[in-house]
Amino acid sequence: MTPALARMFPSIRSAGDLLRACGPAIVLVLVCAAVICIAPGILKWRAINALLFDAAPLLILVIGSTLPVLLGCIDLSAAAMASFSAVVVTLLVPEFGSAAVPLVLLGAAGIGAAQGWLIGRLQIPSFVMTLGTLGLFSGLALYLSNASSVALGAGVAPLDFLGGRTHGVPNAFLAVVAVWIFLSLLLRFTRLGRDIYAFGASELAAYMSGVRRGLIRSCAFAISSVCAALGGMMLLSQTLYSAPTMASNLLLPALVGVVAGGTAISGGVGGLSASLIGGLTAVMVRVGATIAGLPGAAQDVAFGIIILVAVAVTTDRTKIGIVK
Amino acid sequence: MSALLSLQNISKRFPGVHALDDIDMELRQHEVLGLIGQNGSGKSTLMKIIGGLHQPSAGEMRLRGSPVRFGSPLEATRAGIGLVHQEQSLIGNLTVAENLFVDKPTDFSRFGFYRRSRMNDAARIQLDKVELDVAPDTLVDQLTFAQRQMVELAKVLSLEELVEGHLVVLFDEPTSVLTPTEIQALFRQVRRLKMRSSVVFISHRMDEVLAISDRVYVLSDGRNVAERLKDETDPDELYELMVGRQRAGSVLPRSNPPDRNAPKRLAVRDLTVPGKVEDVTFDVASGEIVGLIGVQGSGAEAVCRAIFGVEDSHSGHIEYEGRPVRVSRPSGAVGLGIGYVPAERKAEATMKGMSVCQNMTVTFGSDYGYGGVLLSKRRERREAANWVERLKIKTPSLDHRIDQLSGGNQQKVVLSKWLLGRSLRLLVLDHPTRGLDPGARADLFNAIRQLAEDGLSIVFVGDTLDEMVTLSDTILVLRDGRLSQRFDDVQTKRPSEEDIVRAMV
Repeated sequence: MTPALARMFPSIRSAGDLLRACGPAIVLVLVCAAVICIAPGILKWRAINALLFDAAPLLILVIGSTLPVLLGCIDLSAAAMASFSAVVVTLLVPEFGSAAVPLVLLGAAGIGAAQGWLIGRLQIPSFVMTLGTLGLFSGLALYLSNASSVALGAGVAPLDFLGGRTHGVPNAFLAVVAVWIFLSLLLRFTRLGRDIYAFGASELAAYMSGVRRGLIRSCAFAISSVCAALGGMMLLSQTLYSAPTMASNLLLPALVGVVAGGTAISGGVGGLSASLIGGLTAVMVRVGATIAGLPGAAQDVAFGIIILVAVAVTTDRTKIGIVK
Repeated sequence: MSALLSLQNISKRFPGVHALDDIDMELRQHEVLGLIGQNGSGKSTLMKIIGGLHQPSAGEMRLRGSPVRFGSPLEATRAGIGLVHQEQSLIGNLTVAENLFVDKPTDFSRFGFYRRSRMNDAARIQLDKVELDVAPDTLVDQLTFAQRQMVELAKVLSLEELVEGHLVVLFDEPTSVLTPTEIQALFRQVRRLKMRSSVVFISHRMDEVLAISDRVYVLSDGRNVAERLKDETDPDELYELMVGRQRAGSVLPRSNPPDRNAPKRLAVRDLTVPGKVEDVTFDVASGEIVGLIGVQGSGAEAVCRAIFGVEDSHSGHIEYEGRPVRVSRPSGAVGLGIGYVPAERKAEATMKGMSVCQNMTVTFGSDYGYGGVLLSKRRERREAANWVERLKIKTPSLDHRIDQLSGGNQQKVVLSKWLLGRSLRLLVLDHPTRGLDPGARADLFNAIRQLAEDGLSIVFVGDTLDEMVTLSDTILVLRDGRLSQRFDDVQTKRPSEEDIVRAMV
């Protein structure tokens, strides 16, 4: 490697490191190539456009789920939160109109922050905590909707916007890009971002260095929940009715997206650029499987395999040492 | 005397570092071999190669005359080589007996089931060898540090029954966390061990190495620079060989005594930490260095942790700059301008896998940004680079991973993390020199002295009496959680070491 490159990427010192750094991008290119081989028509602008529209909810979930993973935690409740918030919005619209959307996003932030705070307060591992809230949210969504679809009243401005297009580009996708840029800047240039990485590298050392771990955890889970709720809004804007399980098939792909990008499940390594690549990989696998006519069960098999291979290839084990 | 273990042309390379370069070493029968060198000189790497944790990149190792190559610590153990680790390697949630036999073939289990009574009986025999009076079924977590060290030694000694011929026992800085009495007990064991084994002994304290060793090797930058017989050398010569400069005057004298009428920075009143500290009262003036000392369990560490807000519960009053404060977590202490360098460097002070720069800027980096929220990487990097230079931190670059630096350099990075803070007024150091060589220690002390003269208040828990009298303005001696004696104006009228020891025990 040239010295200039070495300065730019100090963590890359060998061919193995390089492969690890580029691996997720290579996988994305390969998956795209495979999909194009099966269905060359996908390269048309209309197809891409439809793809972006369809992919937005999953991408926003991947982005949101990245923050808890950077802490070394995990948020299993994101997909359930998406369905739950979609149901709640449809129920609130008759009462509050357009204001229902910001209200629900705010509520999601509160619930996410509370989850993060309770993890520290009650000393419950995030895996268990969010497994519990996953059940809670899906159950509440079923209860509130009487386990049936609820049609969305017309004229909800934020949802009309999310379902629309600007200069032919889906607004939902533009929203994903905006959130991605905002959170990337937050991670890179703010104190909160640094604290998240420090927490992920070593919670105890970060705490002893004055990092407020309760606050940081709350922030990360709040962001994850808001992104999930936003994903729910996007789904709602596409279908115009809410169903209590509408997002539940996104749980596995969202986590696949995070880890396929190279964000280490043990925390402190990775980021949102990685998640974007991983998220697009997850999207392309879904699309490819659908085009190829594979049944849903086969898609789950594919995601299951990808999550295992991605973690095996992308994790820098010298930084972790032991695996549990 | 014939060689029990000999190393020829041993080299070890890590990515970017040449840790060992062509080392020759010979360990004879019935011999205690001292091994000294600065942090990063390769002592620990050499021990790990002999103990099977690392494999040499080149060179040959011979045990009892035949070439050996160990793929794992287990293979080394079975060949009769035992390593008493610098960082203890016992498993805390297993019992003493289980720890003793965890790496050995035993006949205590049948069809995978333990027969505990048999194992405990066998453990009793091993514990008697090191005169440690604890029940074999005690969990290791419940032992004190010194007791765990003895268990670790017993674990190595239990190889005696398993291996034909002489054992090789490696001690990697066993004394750095022991009190003087515990060190004497350890030395008795080492002398007894010589009857049927050979010992390699690493320590940073020259007098200790000379007291226990028959022969001394000096390492510097991964090379073997000198070999001396015990009777032909003295601490000053060893120091010079190791550091390459004169020992005298390595820690500067205080140029201006602290102002007796300086405003109080910290006032601790009736501090009580249940089970550890009782009714401790003292003041720290601005620019004053207060040293706390006591034997293991005296409560000195708990005082530090209470000030920083990491003791679970404590009562009493703490006044900081004239105002009563209640610190219940580190972020609160940081907000007041209080820093803390923990004794457990690996677990509590460094973020493994993160760079030197990231470790330095985690606490106060945002002070160099905008409004405490946005960061300025350029400005904080410049400040970090500045401290790397001032504290002479040996690192290839600011982006090098902290866990690849030597212990002494890691400690300097941890110190820099706090010194980066412009608002820092009080720095609490818990065993700051643990694992540091004399050269690094002198650098650290000079830095601390300089900071105090610039007005920073320091509270520190020392490891040795020498440290206490070299650095402190005031020495507080703790015994069983209570303040037993106080020595003022230490730099002008030095108390004798005997006086301090008398107050400790």
